[in-house]
Amino acid sequence: MILAQVIVSGLLLGAVYSLFSSGLTLIWGMMNVVNFAHGDFVMLAMYVAFFAWTQGHWGPAISVPLAAVTLALLGLAVYFGLIRAVMRGPMLAQILSTFGLALLLRYSAFWAFSANFVTLPDTLVGGTLEIGGLRLQASRVLAGVVALALALGMHLMLTRTMIGARMLAVAEDRAAAMLVGIRPDPMQALAWGLGAASTGIAGALIALFYYIAPTVGESLTLIAFVVVCLGGFGSVPGALIAGLLVGVVESVSAYWFGPVYQDAVVYALFLLVLWVRPQGLLGTV
Amino acid sequence: MSSAPRLDRHRVPLRAFAIILLVLVAIAWPALVGDAFYQRVGALVVLAAISASAWNLIGGYAGQVSVGHAIFFGAGAYASLVVYTQLGWPPVAGAPLGILVSLALAIVIGTPTFRLRGHYFSMATIAAAELIRLLVANWPLVGAAVGLMGPAAPRSVADLTFRDPLAYYYIFLAVLALLLALTAAMERSRMGYYLRAINGGDRAASSLGVPVLRYKLYALMLSAAFTSIAGSLYAVMVGFADPDSVLGILISVKIVIVAALGGAGTLFGPLLGALILVPLEEWTNAAFGGSGTGVTYVVYGAIILLIARFEPGGLLDLVGKLTRRRHAA
Amino acid sequence: MLLEATGVVQTFGRLRAVDGADLAVSEGEVIGLIGPNGAGKSTFFNALAGDRIPTAGRITFDGHDVTRASPDRHARLGIARTFQVPVTFTDMTVAENVLVGAFLRQPHRAAASAVVDEMLEFTGLAPMAHRRAGMLGTPGRKRLEIARALATKPRLLLLDEALAGLTPAEVQAAIGLVRRIHALGITLIIVEHIMEVILTLAERAVVFHQGRVIAAGPPRQVVNDPAVVAAYLGHRMAARMQA
Repeated sequence: MILAQVIVSGLLLGAVYSLFSSGLTLIWGMMNVVNFAHGDFVMLAMYVAFFAWTQGHWGPAISVPLAAVTLALLGLAVYFGLIRAVMRGPMLAQILSTFGLALLLRYSAFWAFSANFVTLPDTLVGGTLEIGGLRLQASRVLAGVVALALALGMHLMLTRTMIGARMLAVAEDRAAAMLVGIRPDPMQALAWGLGAASTGIAGALIALFYYIAPTVGESLTLIAFVVVCLGGFGSVPGALIAGLLVGVVESVSAYWFGPVYQDAVVYALFLLVLWVRPQGLLGTV
Repeated sequence: MSSAPRLDRHRVPLRAFAIILLVLVAIAWPALVGDAFYQRVGALVVLAAISASAWNLIGGYAGQVSVGHAIFFGAGAYASLVVYTQLGWPPVAGAPLGILVSLALAIVIGTPTFRLRGHYFSMATIAAAELIRLLVANWPLVGAAVGLMGPAAPRSVADLTFRDPLAYYYIFLAVLALLLALTAAMERSRMGYYLRAINGGDRAASSLGVPVLRYKLYALMLSAAFTSIAGSLYAVMVGFADPDSVLGILISVKIVIVAALGGAGTLFGPLLGALILVPLEEWTNAAFGGSGTGVTYVVYGAIILLIARFEPGGLLDLVGKLTRRRHAA
Repeated sequence: MLLEATGVVQTFGRLRAVDGADLAVSEGEVIGLIGPNGAGKSTFFNALAGDRIPTAGRITFDGHDVTRASPDRHARLGIARTFQVPVTFTDMTVAENVLVGAFLRQPHRAAASAVVDEMLEFTGLAPMAHRRAGMLGTPGRKRLEIARALATKPRLLLLDEALAGLTPAEVQAAIGLVRRIHALGITLIIVEHIMEVILTLAERAVVFHQGRVIAAGPPRQVVNDPAVVAAYLGHRMAARMQA
């Protein structure tokens, strides 16, 4: 029974991984840019949720949309101020731009919030739920369900709406999309905004049950990388499935090998995927 | 008309003069400053220049951006201290072991990712570096989180434990000279042009007969080997290594910023970056103490961002553009 | 037979961009690949160049099976190609760009440089040898693409719309260059939209439509072929022209 609990717990956190990783793969697919600061966006969102509580006693009903909007605005600022200028240039500029941003955000957070970690109170979304004989933290269940719903929503938006079709067109063939009258710039800005919003929502949800510290971004960025590669370049449904998988692998590894090694297993899995199946589950390379 | 690059008639003697002056100052530096503190700074500048010049081979010339080079630096540092703690050998004897480990890591990281778009390689370097750091931090043989120490007192000259930095400075300088000479030779050779073609576009390079995967691996392996040597030299001088000080992401960051600030893809760019950033860091540490280090990385992040956004070619490229404009005017 | 492609198929998901194409080229020929947009000629061209591995079919060059060979293996065997949108190495000089190509046959710099000088003279780029390649306009970059490819000493040169976007005067100059390349004994396969170029240069035109070869033969004959007219203009227009 404990193993089942571990797996479900992993699926719930994995759903949150799916959410913010979907944002990353959307950006990557559309603009061929990898956001090295993606995990640090999530970290900032966690702090937004934290301050929503300490300053206004607001719970997730407020902090989640607040974080989504805040990060979306940050995302747009980064797109217009930085990404647009580097995305057509040399790889060095592209990679260093978001890498530098990551450092800037992470160490600014260090400086502003100190290295100590904080947490939101357990009572915020409190208690444990009993579902099918398993005892699960209510906050995790909430986070997992909301994240999964939104990640699915993103997939549906991309595949079923007009604007989603436009975004996918730009992702597939920018020149061809321009020929049929789709302007890539607003679509790309939208992708960045959505990608950032996904980190905002994910961060506010994770903050409900995870520790909040400036260093969190480092490992979350790596997790996002593993998920998008395992899911397949640019594939949102791929990121969805891969996120859940990574969540389970992480959870089971912590259970079998101890929490110290859980990250190591995920990173090792990443390297294995690159060797064995670089196109991931649902992608083309 | 020969197709060898025809340097501007004004610039050939100027460039040669600058290099000769640089070499003379470099050799005379310890005598010029006298003070051990400045000699040590000099040694650290040279060490940073070695690591950054090594990174430059894969990141600058070939354009494959590694943000996890600490993995090779750490391999060299740990290899040196492990052979001392486990076998009693002088630390410098561990350098070949560090090189072997680094070459193996380079093959493991590069082979799958060099066939794919560039982001995969960068992501893999960061993941591999973190993976190794986690494993080392939990492996008692290499000191786990506590780390390893070198000989406290020299047992023989081979231990290379000197009290004053003078000897380190000259040893490091010799290694840097070797690396720069190798890089200069490579620049003019087929390998140099092939790497720059790869940087210019894999697909086009391939169509011209460049074996892209093979050359990327050559560059990475050469880069890894020299970064490993830098790590071994560091361990020899400092006499201590732990996961954070030699395998942490901040080492990778420093290597990249030193190379990129001075000018990635140029011969002397990394050295220029080292000449600016190392004394700057030493000065801020001395001036602000511990509280300075947090701000240091905020500044580093901002510098990397600004370089990427406005001047990816670094300072040497900026200088080059300004002088070209003046000549044209 | 220098190059022989049989039954080449290229699918992208459910799209069959090339649906069983054959081509046989003898040494010294100039072949024009034409067809309306989306007909599959560029995809077929890329398969010949080794840029994509065909889903099915076989391609042999000079007796070697190159169906699955990498682009660099193609170059080593003697097949060179240019890109429709020139991929110039902008941070290197014009001469250095060509040097990259020259290094294929001449591993040492001195000999390679001699080849570069030769190619720059041949393509008229010598005055610009030490300019940064990024400073060239489109016609210069297209010429550089050709010079660079020639430096690999190919037996077969694949030109991908090398004359697109040029002014009439530039087109004439380019036609002259292509003739001089042919005079060296190099076999040419040219993808081109400009009919005048095909009519002037190509000995044989191969027409693609919906992934297949629908006609092949001397250009003047092929352009009057009803099936070809129908492919370009649609059946109704073709019928009107017949009447």
